[in-house]
Amino acid sequence: MGIGPSTKETTLHHFRDPLLNVVSSDEELDLLGVLVVGTPDDNADKILVGTRAAVMAECMRADGVIISSDGWGNSDVDYANTCEQLGTRNIPVTGLKFSGQNGGFVVVNKYLSGIRDINKNAEGLESCVVGENNAVELDARAVTAMLKLKMRREGA
Amino acid sequence: MEEKEKQLRRLVIKAFHVNNVQEGEENNITPDGVLSVDKSLIEGLMKDEPLIESIDIKIIEPGKHDFWTNTIMDIIPVSAKVLGKLGEGITHTLTGVYVMLTGVDTVGKQTHEFGSSEGILKEQLYLNRAGTPSDEDYIISFDVTLKAGMGQERPGPMAAHRACDRFIQTYRDKLKKMKGDLCTERHEYYDVVRPGKKKVLIIKQVAGQGAMYDTWLFPQESSGVEGGRSIIDMGNMPVLLTPNEYRDGIIRSMQ
Repeated sequence: MGIGPSTKETTLHHFRDPLLNVVSSDEELDLLGVLVVGTPDDNADKILVGTRAAVMAECMRADGVIISSDGWGNSDVDYANTCEQLGTRNIPVTGLKFSGQNGGFVVVNKYLSGIRDINKNAEGLESCVVGENNAVELDARAVTAMLKLKMRREGA
Repeated sequence: MEEKEKQLRRLVIKAFHVNNVQEGEENNITPDGVLSVDKSLIEGLMKDEPLIESIDIKIIEPGKHDFWTNTIMDIIPVSAKVLGKLGEGITHTLTGVYVMLTGVDTVGKQTHEFGSSEGILKEQLYLNRAGTPSDEDYIISFDVTLKAGMGQERPGPMAAHRACDRFIQTYRDKLKKMKGDLCTERHEYYDVVRPGKKKVLIIKQVAGQGAMYDTWLFPQESSGVEGGRSIIDMGNMPVLLTPNEYRDGIIRSMQ
């Protein structure tokens, strides 16, 4: 598994990403930047790159992180690990990921409570329709609000 | 006393709306919003790409999506850097038209990773998302047929992306010369520091495992290919971008 047509983020999506628009225009937040991390094939590499991402967040003194994922399945290993690495550093995290009926986390841990399912397909399926299961502005608003709540609750 | 917001740098994106796309004798954009496509350029695009068997370019009018297409590799905006580097200065972009890159090889292998989107376009493309055209937009279909067996090998899709980028570059060169005050929309974006506010980082986990599962960064032009680097070749390690760099098309999906 990897990136299906309905979840993949096109070049146009990155150019007009609703997540960036929502977070950068929120005057209650100081957006540090956008950290792009890949999803390697090898398991040890997956753990390495996600851990480095969490270390960077800590070194930047991030109060909170919002993580998004392009694709699901095998890349959930990366995603869940990065959330865990952030969690063990006491950095609250919320995020966007396709789950639906067939894309639930292939691995779980206790740091995934703020992850919003971006499924839009009526049957909850990864479909072959480009764009169908992409994150939209409402998703971005929801995880931003959720992060604010988490930061307040966890005293970040 | 609360410290004031500090502006680090400014990015201005000026949009030029295209309201008609038609065939013409050259690739051109006029100030009144007519984009023309010269199909005789295809030969030149193929010259340096031995892995490409043929290229077909089609103009798709808004709402006329009732025809068969190969799998959709990417939807790409036509944007050009006019002043400064990605993330600052001035960028010109077109609205009303987007490029759709599709691919297959001569033995019928669709250029896709996990699940493919070939079929009747109106059933395969969800309109009005951030990453897809709206129902009022024109689409320029750039359909690449690769040599046999190249549909899912890394050099094949890369050749398709490169050829498509060269096609788009002909419009970028015109866009750069458009008078800025003729734009139909103007957006100003600042990278800002908001002292005292909660510091938040966005992490974008992107594809990095191989052919059609790759992400490129740092092209010379907004949403371009030329000059870009693959995140796979960078070991998939985290790369930090300013919000304006990200917003200015520093990422190219290579899926």
